[in-house]
Amino acid sequence: MKTKLAAISALISLATPVLFAHRIDEYLQAIIVSAGPNNLQASMRLIPGVAVSNSVIAAIDSNSDGVFSVSEQRAYAQKVLHDLSLSVDGESLTPRLTAVSVPSAAEMKEGLGEIRITFVADLPSRRGQRALVIENHHEPRMSVYLMNCLVPQESSIRIVAQNRNENQSYYRVDYMQSSGEQDSWLTHWQTGLLSAMSPLSGVPSMFRLGMRHIAEGTDHLLFLLALLLPAPLLAVGSRWATHGSVRYSLMQIVRVVTAFTIGHSLTLALGASGLVSLASRLVEVLIAFSILVSAVHALRPLFPGREPMIATFFGLVHGLAFATTLQNLGVNPWQRIAGILGFNLGIESMQLLVVASILPSLLILSRMPVYRFFRFAGASFAGIAALGWIAERLLGVHTDVDAMVDGVARHGVWLAAALFATSLILWLNGQSAAVNGNHANAFLNPAGLSAGKLVSPECGPRRPRSAFVLPPSPMGESKY
Amino acid sequence: MAISNLRVPARVGMTLAMALVCLRPVAAQSSTEKVVHAANKFLASLSDDQKHKVLYAYNDEEQRARWSNFPTGFVARGGLRLKDLSESQSAAAMDLMAVVLSPMGLEKVNQIRLADDDFKTNGSKRGPGGGGPRGGNGGPPGGGGPPPQFGVRGPGGPGGRGPGGGGEMFGKDLYYISFLGTPSTSAPWMLQFGGHHLALNITIAGSKGVLTPTLTGAQPATFTFDGKTIRPIGRESDKAVALLRSLDDKQRQQAVLNYQVPDLILGPGQDGKKIAPEGLKASAMNAIQRRLLLDLISEWAGIMNESAASARMAELKADLNETQFAWSGPTTAEPGVNISAYYRIQGPHLVIEYAPQHDEPTNHVHTMYRDPTNDYGTQFGGK
Repeated sequence: MKTKLAAISALISLATPVLFAHRIDEYLQAIIVSAGPNNLQASMRLIPGVAVSNSVIAAIDSNSDGVFSVSEQRAYAQKVLHDLSLSVDGESLTPRLTAVSVPSAAEMKEGLGEIRITFVADLPSRRGQRALVIENHHEPRMSVYLMNCLVPQESSIRIVAQNRNENQSYYRVDYMQSSGEQDSWLTHWQTGLLSAMSPLSGVPSMFRLGMRHIAEGTDHLLFLLALLLPAPLLAVGSRWATHGSVRYSLMQIVRVVTAFTIGHSLTLALGASGLVSLASRLVEVLIAFSILVSAVHALRPLFPGREPMIATFFGLVHGLAFATTLQNLGVNPWQRIAGILGFNLGIESMQLLVVASILPSLLILSRMPVYRFFRFAGASFAGIAALGWIAERLLGVHTDVDAMVDGVARHGVWLAAALFATSLILWLNGQSAAVNGNHANAFLNPAGLSAGKLVSPECGPRRPRSAFVLPPSPMGESKY
Repeated sequence: MAISNLRVPARVGMTLAMALVCLRPVAAQSSTEKVVHAANKFLASLSDDQKHKVLYAYNDEEQRARWSNFPTGFVARGGLRLKDLSESQSAAAMDLMAVVLSPMGLEKVNQIRLADDDFKTNGSKRGPGGGGPRGGNGGPPGGGGPPPQFGVRGPGGPGGRGPGGGGEMFGKDLYYISFLGTPSTSAPWMLQFGGHHLALNITIAGSKGVLTPTLTGAQPATFTFDGKTIRPIGRESDKAVALLRSLDDKQRQQAVLNYQVPDLILGPGQDGKKIAPEGLKASAMNAIQRRLLLDLISEWAGIMNESAASARMAELKADLNETQFAWSGPTTAEPGVNISAYYRIQGPHLVIEYAPQHDEPTNHVHTMYRDPTNDYGTQFGGK
């Protein structure tokens, strides 16, 4: 572990700023957006380079007749819009195509052709601090991106901050929307008040950014959840044998979450203050690797009982990724500290919310034989996702991992609720079975209520090996 | 000589005019009169057919926007090509440019043209580790063939009343001159001069003259001509590095963006757009840094003749507190070599972009110079 930490710190000290990879020919996609009080207008230019023009032409000319018909042009524009994801204040927006023009294939083959698309979207009218987020997922492997917004025409809208990821495929504009001219004195007063407490004014927005970051950063959550899967369990030899006491399980989960928090808070603070940085691609690959490690660990104990240490270690890596979204803080040191604090609190709150929502299910299920299947399914899901991300981030190949994970994450609340309901039913069922002394239902019998203490609910009776791994806290009797 | 004979009466007339209308700004008026005089002299040297080709209506929006960073063989320009003019007509055209532009501006224009000549002879120096300055005649013989960033097709292209290229792609005489409206000392009119890596859009209205939008660029960004090393867009790079180096860590953190900017944001066709600015505000710079910033800006604002340039610099100086400097890309630079980083200077009446091109980042650059509130002199009206 020490050598690994040393290796990481060596990597951190060799930090390079931002990596600039120049491809010879690329698909330039530029969006300029303009936000009004209740709608958004955007113009998009797409310019394929010579080397990539054929694949773009093929994508537009679906019947390969060499002509871009009006319906083919519209269909391509719709596809481009479909590949954008737009949201305001966390609510997703549906872009409506207003115009498209596609140059001739001949022009495109020379790298001169410019596809122009314009679109609009309705914005729910709201006052106060707002956040517009645009993500461009169109042809990520061959594209370079530009995203900008126009200075608002309306005096009621004022841009507060802009944030982008390294390649500008992610763009976030924070802005203040007041109700208009009638109460502009109020806006002035509000703005004045905000600037008076400027060191603190960024906190709420940074808090929201932090919450959203962890909610959208499914890889961070997947790492934590995969690591929590075996946390309630105790290892015997090279297998997960039984669960610890409720106290042990609970404490172990709290320890893992706390350790992860300490790890990423440290590097988030260091990274956001510019003291350390690491090539972002390396960080992304390490994060995917950390998920793989915790997924394997959930299947077979690699470091039983030492999950908190692993969580701290990889927390350091995850924190570096958080820091990259945080580089547009103010110059004022108080503003920076407040921003980092707000962002971190946002991350922690969201993380706690997620953990709290599955904690009861985890505690109940881990006491039952079915947990084995649940653990296996969860670990496999995380493992597959990790392998996909590693392939994507290391080799640049395209996988459907993001779609798969996002699909699950989108229904996260319902899945957590369903999981809790299932575990509750199983538990109640097991309870009544135990009370009735009906051992035919042994499969669902909560192990904590069965007679044998060291009988593994997962693997059946098993001879304890000599290399019995003891957790830091004494293994207690399972009680409810 | 004929020229000095003509200039003497002109000067006498001017002095008389000054004495009669002493309320008018002296230097500016004289400058516009000189320009109109040189323009009329050029127009007088043309045949009727040529005149028809070179003159457009002042409200011809299509011709106004017909400029590009591309070679003229790909994107046809309107107007008359230097190559198709006689020696004396060509000299009259360049005499006009010499009056409209400052000596520095004229030199820049001519060096951009020379770079295109070098490109025609030596082709792109793109290759393994490309981008650095090449030694001597080591460049692969391009023989005038299209460089790899352009496709395989021959010339031609849409639009334009010009001769359409005729198969030629590069060279210092493939530059076009055109007028929108007729040269006048009171009503607004426009002079365009451009070709590959150059688009000067000069609008003159009475004593006022604006150069926005203007595109400059070069590939190669460094080359040898007559035994001298020439860098047409060299000071734009060097002065920006000097400014960046003068910043302390805190300022640099504000100036250097954490994302890539792969190309110009407000290139050809993006007229009048005011994007939300980013970077370090000049209000947070010290006196030396502010001077460095103004000196950098003068590489574009100073392309025009003295009277227009000084008016423009005064305007930009007044805006300085609200002017921002943003940098994206490597913060290191080799002496004598153009940077591979993008930068932007943006103020209430200004956008300057410096964008290295991805095929040869340190040897191929495009820049834009705009006034989003007054591109093509829209404020002067007259359309």
